[in-house]
Amino acid sequence: MGNPPVLSELRFVALGELSRDQLDRLVAEVSRRVAAPCRVVPTPDASELHGRLLDGRPQLDGDHLLGALEGVAEGPGLVVGVTGRDLGRKIFRFVFGLARSGGPALLVSTARLDPALYGLPADPALSARRASAEVLHELGHAFGAGHCPRADCIMHFAPEVESIDLRGMRFCGSCARDLPEELVSR
Amino acid sequence: MTERTPHPLSLLLVDDEPIVLQSLADWFRHEGHEVETASNAKEALRRVAERTFDLAFLDIKMPGMDGLELQRRLAEAQPELTLVVMTAYASVETAVEALKSGAYDYITKPFDPEELSLLVRRAGEHRSLRSENLRLKERLEAVAAPEPIVGASPGMRRVLELVEAVGASEATVLIKGESGTGKELVARAIHARSLRRYGPLVVVNCGALAEGVLESELFGHEKGAFTGAQHRHKGKFELADGGTIFLDEIATVGPRVQVDLLRVLEEKTITRVGAQKPIPVDFRVIAATNRDLEEMIACGEFREDLFWRLNVFTIEIPPLRERPEDIELLAGHFLERFTRAMNRQPMRLSSEAVAALVAYPWPGNVRELQNAIERAVVVGSPPSIGVDELPLRVTGREADRAGALSLEEVEKSHVRSVLERSRWNVSQAARLLEIDRGTLYNKIEKYGLERPLDG
Repeated sequence: MGNPPVLSELRFVALGELSRDQLDRLVAEVSRRVAAPCRVVPTPDASELHGRLLDGRPQLDGDHLLGALEGVAEGPGLVVGVTGRDLGRKIFRFVFGLARSGGPALLVSTARLDPALYGLPADPALSARRASAEVLHELGHAFGAGHCPRADCIMHFAPEVESIDLRGMRFCGSCARDLPEELVSR
Repeated sequence: MTERTPHPLSLLLVDDEPIVLQSLADWFRHEGHEVETASNAKEALRRVAERTFDLAFLDIKMPGMDGLELQRRLAEAQPELTLVVMTAYASVETAVEALKSGAYDYITKPFDPEELSLLVRRAGEHRSLRSENLRLKERLEAVAAPEPIVGASPGMRRVLELVEAVGASEATVLIKGESGTGKELVARAIHARSLRRYGPLVVVNCGALAEGVLESELFGHEKGAFTGAQHRHKGKFELADGGTIFLDEIATVGPRVQVDLLRVLEEKTITRVGAQKPIPVDFRVIAATNRDLEEMIACGEFREDLFWRLNVFTIEIPPLRERPEDIELLAGHFLERFTRAMNRQPMRLSSEAVAALVAYPWPGNVRELQNAIERAVVVGSPPSIGVDELPLRVTGREADRAGALSLEEVEKSHVRSVLERSRWNVSQAARLLEIDRGTLYNKIEKYGLERPLDG
């Protein structure tokens, strides 16, 4: 058995159409649930991080943007890219977030998390809670976890925003087993 | 962490765009499936040549080979592979073509992950159902395959030739033979060789029913047709629709039902008792008798016109006493069957036992021999069955041994012995004793017999 994985730090990077207040709320939410330092860092000066649109779709190409973020991620811990723009993938109509197993970065979009998008009153706290849930979910993928059949596990697949609300905020025992202590201890 | 889905599938993804392959592979792996990818038709064909997959996702538009052609070749290489075609909006027509060529479904790019999830679940279920269907068909073949007809004598070889000859035809067959010669077995063999083999084989023992009951059994009745007819009841002819009806002991059918039978055989329609409207039915008739129907015609007991309807093709099964060379073969066959069924050590018949069996006239024919061997397997001890283990009618020795005992003592001893040999399987013991289970329970109580605690 190898050493258990460690989550030493999370560095949050704003990637467009995101207010500082939104980012701060998200970081505060994630800090409550992850036992590792969480901080906002300046967005690296790289044109690729502006993203590109998918062919014929008003959405950022998630794979491209994640690749760009991975290209500039350096240092310990993981980089969490957060954008207010809608994310898609060539093969998928939309995604709430994206991460690669073992990758140095993950990507989350808040575009579809705002209740106002669905004709409901804006609720910044709820949006932040949803975004933090997506950060945790993608962190799970970054550390190798797949989707979980347990509906109350944060690694359960959420096809739409309501599913994020219904899903729990914790990793189930089975998923938690191989994840860093910092991610599952709170 | 990836084996999380309750039913992981092995998937092959075929697409010429690396980012599509990567995204899909990531997604399916997150879902707990096992994934391999191929970026062109040649690679896809190589993958399916190397191993089997449950499900393949195939981009219909790829350079190098027409998607439909690749679909055809993948299906050829792995007929069990469930194929899902991926298409852009512009090629829906091609996708429809793919469906017509046997693809399970198609999905239009880009798709919702949930849509994909549902599709995979449905495709997995579809695949399980298909596998289950195949398994059931195999089992059905096994069930439909009748007991083999065992016999090497010229008489039985002739029977087997006739069964082969008439099986695939639609001809009505009349099987003649003494009780216990295996007429139903021959009827089953004929049915199993016919095009109706996946249809029902409905057996009617005409001798077991009174004429009024037989009429309703054969043709069915409407609700209220007679006192006690509380529900509509389908008759055996209706139940045999698409298959074969085996009318055993046809000679016992009374004159009124003979008339009805004649009409049904001529018109291939039945009218339920109490109904007006005839119902067309598709059946083949095999009848059997242990009596001489021509003699019965001469006595006015059987209708000649019905006889000629039934006597299209005749198979006569010789009695066992006329083919002693089959006795050892049959005994060996039953011995193997019963030792296996009762989970006993393999046994063989001693040479004295074989001689006794061959010398016996077998008035009950093969059925009597079968019962004798079943009983011998129960009471005998491996590795050999001797003359002593053969039934009373064969050896005549048990009576001598029991001469000094009262009838009750003999019965008690015998019941206990059979129960022990049957390992206290009351149904089996009752069958061997040729009494019903209730009677056996009464005897167990009467003689205070107790099952050993260790069972």
